[in-house]
Amino acid sequence: MSAHPQFAEALALYAMGALDNPQDLAALEAHLGSCGDCRRELEALRADTALLALSATGPQPPARSRQRLLSALAAEPRAERRNPQRYALGRLRRRWVTIAPVMMMAMLAVFSILLWRDLRNTRRSLNRTQAQLEQVQSDLARTNKDLAEAKMIRDLMHAPDAWPLTLVSRKTPPQPQIKTVYSKQQGALLLMASNLTPLPKDKIYQVWLLPASGGAPMSAGWFKPDSKGNGMMFHKMASADIPAKGFAVTIEPAGGSQTPTMPIVMEPAG
Amino acid sequence: MIARIRAGEQSAMADLYDRYAGVVYGVALRVLTSTAAAEDVVQEVFLQLWRNPQAFNADRGRLAPWLAVIARNRAIDLLRKRPPEDDIDEMPISTGVNLEDEASQKLVVDKVRGVLGGLPQDQRKALEMAFFEGMTHSEIAGKTGDPLGTVKTRIRTGLLALRKVLA
Repeated sequence: MSAHPQFAEALALYAMGALDNPQDLAALEAHLGSCGDCRRELEALRADTALLALSATGPQPPARSRQRLLSALAAEPRAERRNPQRYALGRLRRRWVTIAPVMMMAMLAVFSILLWRDLRNTRRSLNRTQAQLEQVQSDLARTNKDLAEAKMIRDLMHAPDAWPLTLVSRKTPPQPQIKTVYSKQQGALLLMASNLTPLPKDKIYQVWLLPASGGAPMSAGWFKPDSKGNGMMFHKMASADIPAKGFAVTIEPAGGSQTPTMPIVMEPAG
Repeated sequence: MIARIRAGEQSAMADLYDRYAGVVYGVALRVLTSTAAAEDVVQEVFLQLWRNPQAFNADRGRLAPWLAVIARNRAIDLLRKRPPEDDIDEMPISTGVNLEDEASQKLVVDKVRGVLGGLPQDQRKALEMAFFEGMTHSEIAGKTGDPLGTVKTRIRTGLLALRKVLA
């Protein structure tokens, strides 16, 4: 196969209409416009999907369906039929016209139709591309804004003079504290830790998502605080939409564990 | 047969229906699971071919796989309540598989079912969710909990497995 390997998986999804990432979609369609090998591979992949469709062959439509179709055909207005050949033959019957101009007229008619079809297809694909471009631009603007915000937070956290300060009640000594922000929809967890006990080299703090369903805790990443006991972690869960009733933290060997090792060192307040 | 349809012969449509209605109905029923809705897809697909036989380009593929894919796409549009494409655009499908007579079509269908049955369950499920349920790869990943990359790979290797056996 001489299609481009970087588009191989996207092409297979595209053949089924299952590619939903606007950037991937726009990149692939732009590439298809200029790559004959990938277009041929797409045709072959469509044929593969056709085999899948054929696997459902078996049940037959009810007998009335045939009659319904034939009645509908009979009711179709004939004027809508497009038939360039008939147009050319109709012209031939005019005796005073010699064969050469008739052939030219016929060819012109066929060319016009072909050109018109090309133009129509180009216009459609242009409209589609335009819409995709606008989508990509708006996604890009949003991503840039998010990125700028994330960069500001990161720059602040990493600034040489960054001064993390936790305010507590006057009579309480500084306590280890972890703040988490979790989005179930995005499957993402942001964690900020302060005043944690420093760990030996071969240990880390591992975070556990406690599923709302009451199931076994799921690993939600790990981190190692700096010498002052402060740390920050951003973690993407393997999938989105996991309802959580909270998070807990244990001390684990570097590299993380499959299941938490007791005791739990940090858990939700209250 | 297509030439006769282009010439406006209704009897050619009747022949075409007798030959391929099972293919169109089968896939539409599998997607929509409703006999009435599947029947509507059969009507639409054949009527559109009657109105615009140029959409099928005999040089670029064969009729049975083309009809099967058109029927699947229309059924998915209905399933997902999307407006239909206004026309069945020319959609090249290149296959050397012979499906034109009933016996060879049955042979191909049996082989495809055999290959599908032999695929790992996760892979078959991903293919079916994409093709018969019209789910995108992100939706499949969300539902199965598998990483996006895994879903993409499963779909592609599943399709290629079908092609290899029939090559």
